[in-house]
Amino acid sequence: MNLINQLFLRILLLPSALYRNMGVNMAHLKAILTTKLIIDDRRPNAIHQTQLKKRSSKPIKGATWGIMFFTAVMGSVFLLCFAVGRDYITQLTIYFSFFIFVLASTLITDFTSVLIDIRDNLIILPKPINDKTFLLARLLHIIIHVSKMVLPLSLPGMIYIGVKEGIRGLLPFIFLVLAVSLFTIFLINALYIFILRVTTPEKFKTIISYFQIFFAIFFYGGYQLVPRLVSKAVLENYSISSSNWAWLAPPFWFADSWQFMRTLQFSAPLVTGFLLSIIVPAASIWAVIKYFAPSFNQKLSMISGSEGEGAPVKANSKGIISTTSVYITQIAKHVTTVGAERMAFLHTWKLTGRSRDFKMKVYPSLGYLIVYIVIIFLSNKKLSLDEIRNESAGGKFLFLGLIYFSSMILVMALYQLIYSDKFKAAWIYYITPVDKPGKLISGAVKAAIVKFYIPMVVLTCVAAVAVVGPKVIPNLLLGLLNQLLITGILAYLTIKDIPFSVQQDTAAKGGTFIRGLFSMLVPAVIAFGHYLVYANWPVILIFCVLSGIASWLVFDAVKNKNWNAVAIRNYE
Amino acid sequence: MNPIISLQNVYKSYGSKQVLKGINLTIYPGQVIGYIGPNGAGKSTTVKILCGLISDYEGDVIIEGINLKDDPITIKSKIGYVPELAELYDVLTPVEFLGFMAELYNMPKELATDRITRMLTALGLNENMHQRMDTFSKGMRQKVLIISGLLHNPDIIILDEPLSGLDANSVIIIKDLISKLAKEGKTIFYCSHMMDVVEKVSDRIVLINEGTVIADGSFTELQQQQGTQSLEQIFAHMTAKESLSDAADQLMNVFGKQHNDQL
Repeated sequence: MNLINQLFLRILLLPSALYRNMGVNMAHLKAILTTKLIIDDRRPNAIHQTQLKKRSSKPIKGATWGIMFFTAVMGSVFLLCFAVGRDYITQLTIYFSFFIFVLASTLITDFTSVLIDIRDNLIILPKPINDKTFLLARLLHIIIHVSKMVLPLSLPGMIYIGVKEGIRGLLPFIFLVLAVSLFTIFLINALYIFILRVTTPEKFKTIISYFQIFFAIFFYGGYQLVPRLVSKAVLENYSISSSNWAWLAPPFWFADSWQFMRTLQFSAPLVTGFLLSIIVPAASIWAVIKYFAPSFNQKLSMISGSEGEGAPVKANSKGIISTTSVYITQIAKHVTTVGAERMAFLHTWKLTGRSRDFKMKVYPSLGYLIVYIVIIFLSNKKLSLDEIRNESAGGKFLFLGLIYFSSMILVMALYQLIYSDKFKAAWIYYITPVDKPGKLISGAVKAAIVKFYIPMVVLTCVAAVAVVGPKVIPNLLLGLLNQLLITGILAYLTIKDIPFSVQQDTAAKGGTFIRGLFSMLVPAVIAFGHYLVYANWPVILIFCVLSGIASWLVFDAVKNKNWNAVAIRNYE
Repeated sequence: MNPIISLQNVYKSYGSKQVLKGINLTIYPGQVIGYIGPNGAGKSTTVKILCGLISDYEGDVIIEGINLKDDPITIKSKIGYVPELAELYDVLTPVEFLGFMAELYNMPKELATDRITRMLTALGLNENMHQRMDTFSKGMRQKVLIISGLLHNPDIIILDEPLSGLDANSVIIIKDLISKLAKEGKTIFYCSHMMDVVEKVSDRIVLINEGTVIADGSFTELQQQQGTQSLEQIFAHMTAKESLSDAADQLMNVFGKQHNDQL
C-alpha cells in the first residue's frame, strides 16, 4: 500500500470510538479497507491500458499515482472558469458545476468497476460481519477513492484561490470542495437507485454506459461550442447572481457560500447560500447512509444474483425472427455473396448493435465528430449561406470538407471492427473451412458501411440539396462514391486481422501511426482531386464512374485477401 | 440429537418467479448432504439463504438453534462457504486474500498465519503463496477458495461444485478431506452436478426439482425406492421431463440417412 492510501486510511480511522459506538467492528473495518486499497493500487487504469504495449509481465503497482497526476491536469483546466464572469460567485458557480460534473462522470464508472465490486457479495457478505461495518467500510472506501480524485482535481483551484485571496479565501474553498464532493456522492447514489428502480439490474450497466457516452459528447460539445457561441465581452461581464434561476443550480449555493464565508456579509442571498451549502450535503449524506445504502446492497446482490438460475425464456424465442433481422438479411443478400461474407456481415451487424464495448468505443467518437462538423460551420462566420449556395471557393471548400471529414466517422467504426472483449471467440474462424479471410473482413466492412454510411449519406444529401439546391448533385454523388472508395482503400491497407479477433489492450502497438497517416492522407488526396475538378461537371461524371469502378475493384481485393495477409493469432 | 440445520417451509421468489416452493429439511451434525437438482431447481438459492446472502425469504431457517433472521452474524461465523464461481480478488496473493478472510472471521493473526501457511502447503501452493492470483489456473484458485471456506474451522461447510477445475490428485485429496471432516462432526452441504462424486461422498442425498424436495435419503434408500441404479439414472428418472435417450436419438436423426455419408 502506498503512502497516500495509508495516510487516508489513518485519518479516516481516527474517530474509531465513534465508529465503535455505532456498532462497527473496527478490526473488520480496517481489514476490508486495507484490502480494498491494495486492490485499487494494483488495478490497471486507463493510462496503463493505453500505454502498455502488451500485457506486461510487470505487476501493476502504484496505479494511484498515475490517476492522481492525470486528475491534477484536469483540475488545471478548470481554472479557465476564472476567466469568465465579473465576480467570484459566477466564476465559482461555473467552477463547481464543472467539478460536480467531472467528479460525477468519473465516479459513475468507478462505482460499477471499483467501488461496488459484486465479488463482495460472495466473498465478504457470507462472513460474520455486521451490516454497519460493511456499509461504513464501503462508505469510507468511497470517501478515500473520492478524495484521491478530489484532492488533485481541486488542488489547482486551491492554489489559485490561495494566491489571489489568501487564507481567508482558501479555507472556505477547501471546506466547500468537501461539501460539494459529498453532494456529488449523493447525486450518484440517487441516480443509481433511480436507475435500479426503473429498470432491471441486467440493463443497468448498459444504461450507465449510455450515460457515459452522452456525458462525454455533451461535455465535449459544451466545451467547444459555448465559447464560440457567446462572445468574449458577454462572458466577461456576465454575473450569475442577477438571474433568479441560478438558485435551482446547487453550484450557485456553494459559490454564494464561499462569498459569505470570505466577506462575512450578512445579506439574505449569501446567508441562504451558506446554509444550503451546509445543510444539503449533510442531509444528503445522511440520506445515503440511512435510506439508500441498505436497499442499495440488496439491489446490488441482485445484479450478481439469480444469474445462475437460468435466464427466463423470452416469448419470441420460438424461432420467430424479429423484423429488423428480416430486413437486414434482405440487405445482406444484395450486398454480399453467400457464405462467409454474408455470415460476417450479419455477425458484425449484430455484434456492433449489441456489444456494449463497441458502442462505448465508437459512439463517443461519432459524437465528437458531429461536434467538430458543427464547429466547422460555426467558426466560418464570414461564410454566408449565399456564398455556399453560389459555390464560391469558400463554399466549395466547406462542402468538400464536410463530406470528406464525415468519412472519418466510417473510418473510426472501421478501425474498431477488429477489436472485441471476446476476442478469443474468434477461434471459430480458424477451425471452420473459410477459404479466404478477406470474405470475413469484407462482410464486416460492408456491415459497417450499411450501418454508419447509409444514414450519413441520407443526412448529407438532404442537407446539401436543401442548402445548395439540385445543382450540387453531381459533386455530391462523386463525394459519396469517393467515401466508399476511401473506406475500401483504408480497409485494404489497414485491416490485417479477422473481425473481433484482437484484444483492445494491444491497440497501442506500432502501426497506429501509419494507420493514422493513411486515414488522413487518403481522404485528403482524394478530396484535393475533387476540389480541382469541382466546377467541371462532365469531368465529375467521368470521375463518378471511375470512382465507382475503383471502389468495386478495391472491395473485391479486400474480399480476396488470403490467409497470408492476415495475422493468425494464437490464444493461450 | 438436535438438528444443526433446519429449514421449515422456505419459500423464495424473484419477482413473480417462485424459485423455492416450501423447502423442508432437517440436517444433523456429521452428515454429508449431497444437494442435487437440475439447473434452475433452486440449489443456489437455498445455498445463498443458508449463507445469509438472501434475507427476504419466507419460512424459518434455524441453524444450531438460532433463527437465521434473528442473528445472522453468529450463524455466518459457524459456516464456511466455498462459492461456485471462482470469485476472489485476484490481484491479491493467496496469503493476503486468506489473511483478509481470517480477519473477517475474527481469527487471531498468529493462528491465521500459521493455518494459512500450513493449508496452502498441504494443497501444494507453498511456492505460490506470495504470487498474485491473477496468474493462477482455475484449479489453483479453487484450492484457495476451499481453504478460505475451511480456515476458521466452521461447524457447517457449504461447498458449491468444489471440485471444478481441480486435477485428479487434488480431487482425491478433497474427497478424502470431506469424509474426514464429517467424521470430526462437521456438517457438509455439498452441491454438485457430478452425480458419481455425490453418490460416493454423501451420507444423504437431497434431490430438489422446481423448488421442492422430491427425494431425500441415503443412496441405498434411494436405490430401494427407485430400483437399483446409479445416482445418475435415478436423477434422470426423477427430473427429466422426457426420456433422455430420445433426445440422443433425436440428435442422431438430425443427420438422417446421410449419416453414413460424408456430411
